[in-house]
Amino acid sequence: MAFIRRDWDPVHADEWTKEDWIAIVLSPLAYIFLSIGTGLSILLLPIGFITFSIGIVLTILMHYVIDPKLKMISSEFNFLVRSDIEITCHFASKKILLYSN
Amino acid sequence: MVTFEFLDWLWIVLFVLVMVGSGILFYRLGKRSESDFFLAGRGLPWWLPASSVYATHTATDTPMWVTGVIYRYGFAGIWYTFFSAWCAISAFVSTRIFRRSLAYTQAEWNTLRFGGLGAEMLRGWISGWQVFMNMFILGWVGMAMGKVCNYIFGWDLWVGLILFSSVCAIYVLAAGYWGVIMADFQQGIIAFAVIIIVSGWGIAAAGGPGEIVSKLGDMGLSEKLNPFAFSGWFTGDFPIAWFITMMFIAILGGFGMGTSIDWYAEAQRIQSAKTVRDASYSIWWGTALVLIRNSVWAIAVLAFFVLFPNISNASEYELGWFRLGFDYLPAGMVGFFFAAIIAIHISTISTHLNLGAMYFTHDLYLHYFKPKATEKELVWVGRVATFVLLIGSFFYGLMMEEITSWLIFALWLMAAGIWLPNILQVVWWRFNAWGYLSSWIANLGLSWLVVWILPHFGIIPSLPDYQQFWLLMLLGALIYLPVTFFTKPEDMNHLVKYYVMSRPIGWWKPVRKEAERLGLLHELEKISLKGV
Repeated sequence: MAFIRRDWDPVHADEWTKEDWIAIVLSPLAYIFLSIGTGLSILLLPIGFITFSIGIVLTILMHYVIDPKLKMISSEFNFLVRSDIEITCHFASKKILLYSN
Repeated sequence: MVTFEFLDWLWIVLFVLVMVGSGILFYRLGKRSESDFFLAGRGLPWWLPASSVYATHTATDTPMWVTGVIYRYGFAGIWYTFFSAWCAISAFVSTRIFRRSLAYTQAEWNTLRFGGLGAEMLRGWISGWQVFMNMFILGWVGMAMGKVCNYIFGWDLWVGLILFSSVCAIYVLAAGYWGVIMADFQQGIIAFAVIIIVSGWGIAAAGGPGEIVSKLGDMGLSEKLNPFAFSGWFTGDFPIAWFITMMFIAILGGFGMGTSIDWYAEAQRIQSAKTVRDASYSIWWGTALVLIRNSVWAIAVLAFFVLFPNISNASEYELGWFRLGFDYLPAGMVGFFFAAIIAIHISTISTHLNLGAMYFTHDLYLHYFKPKATEKELVWVGRVATFVLLIGSFFYGLMMEEITSWLIFALWLMAAGIWLPNILQVVWWRFNAWGYLSSWIANLGLSWLVVWILPHFGIIPSLPDYQQFWLLMLLGALIYLPVTFFTKPEDMNHLVKYYVMSRPIGWWKPVRKEAERLGLLHELEKISLKGV
C-alpha cells in the first residue's frame, strides 16, 4: 500500500489519519515560505525566488495529499445531509435525528 | 488635500454604481429565506467565500497598520501580520468539524457541543458579545475611512464614516449575504489589482527593487530586509521569544474555534460553502491571498521608507502606503485608487453588518424570543438588525478616540486567557460548558490583575505582551480545569450526537465507544457506503 493513500471510502475518510497530519504540517510551512518568498522575490533577491518556489511545491504537495480525502468526506457528508437521517439505535431503542439541515 | 480631475470623479461614480449594483442584483435570492439572507443557501463554490475572506480582511485600517509595523521593524515586521495563519491548520481541522456541525454561528455550535443551562448561557453570551463586537469593528473601520477622507478631501471625520458605510448598507439591507459575497468578489479583485499597481508604482518611485536594497545598504540598514532580524532572545522590542509565542498562538490556534477574532467572520464563510472541501479551500486560499498581499505591501512600505526615512511620528508614517498612491500615481489614476479604497472599505463593512445581524436574528430573536418565526419574518428581522448595527456603529466610531485603549484591552483579554479553552472545547470530550464559561469569567478578572493592577502595586513587573499571554494561560488553567473536573461531564447522548455528526479530532474515545455501542457508527457507515 502506498505511503499516501489517495483512494478513499467513506468509512475510512471520516477517521483522522496520517494524511491529515501531513497536511497540518505542510500547510503552515507553505504559508511561511509563500509569505517571505513573495516579499523577497519582489526585491529580486535569489533567496526570494527559492523560498517562493518551495512555498509553491509545499502547496501542491499539501493538495495532493489531502484533496482525495476531502472529496470523499464532502460527497459522503452531502449525501447524509440530503437524507435527513433518523436512526433508531440498536441497543437503546431511541431515535436520534441526525443531519437535519 | 489631494486634487481630483474629472476622470478621477468618473472612476469613483462608476465604481460605486458597479459595487452597489452587483449587490442589489441578488435581492431576489437574498429574501428567499434566513439561510439565503445569512449563508447564501450554503451553496457557494470555494472561490467565492475565499474572495470574501480576502476582501473582508482588507480594510481601510489594514494598510495603515501593516505600514506601521514594517516602517518600524523592517521586513521582519511581517510576523506581526502573521496572526491570520491560524487558517493553515483550521482549514483542515476546525473548519471541517464546524462545517459538519451545520451550525449557523459559533453561538449555535456551543449548544451542539455542550448541553443544558451552561450551553444556553454560552449561546446568549457569545451572540450578545458578537453583536457588540461587530458594531465596534464597524465603528473602528468606519473611523479609519473618516481619517482617509480627512487626509484626501479635508472633510470632517464623521463625513467619511457615515457616507460610505451608508452606501454599503444599501445592498446589505437588500440582498443580505448574497449581496455581501457577490460584491466582495469584485471588490476583492479591484482591491488586489490596485494594491499591486500602487505598490509597484511606489517601488518604481524609490528607484526599483535593486535601488531599495542598495539604498538601505548605504544607510547601514540592510537588516530591514531580513525577515528574522530579532533583537535577542528576550531583550529589545522585537525578541525571539515574542516570535515563538506569535507562531504558537497563530498556528496551533487552528485546532480550536474562536482562537482568533477573525474566526467569527470566517465561520460564516465556512457554513456558506457548498461542501466540506469547499469550506476548507475557501479558508486556506483566502488567507494565502491575505498573507501574499501583506508581503506586497511590506516591500512597498520599504520603498516608502527609502523615500522618507526620518519620520518619527507614527500617525504620519502609518499613512505611507496611501501617500505612495496619492503622491505618485498620475492624474486620472488617483480616482481609480480612491475607488479601490472604497472597495477595500465597504467589503469589510458589509461583512460585519451582515454577521452582527445574523447573531441577533438567529441566536437571540429566533432562539430566545420567537422560535416559530417564519422565513420571511427572519429576513425582515435581519434587515432591521442590519440597520440598527449601522446606526450604532456611527456612535461607536465617533466615540472611538476615547474608548480605543479600553477596547484594545478588551480584545487582548479575549485572546489570551481563553485561547487554550477555545482549543479544548474542540479536542477534548471532557471539557464542559461550565469549564468554558469559567475560563471567560476568570480571564476577565485575571487580565485586569496581570495587565494593570498587580504591576501598579509593584507585586509583579509590567510584563511584555507575550509574557502576559503565557501567564494568563497558566493562571486561567488553574481555574477552569478544576471547575471542569468538579462538575459533571456533558450528557453522553448529547456528545454522541455531536461526535457522529462532526467527527472531532483529539481525545474523544469514551464518546466514540458509546457511539459504537449504540450501533450509530455502524448504521451510518452502511448508509454512507450505499450513497457514495
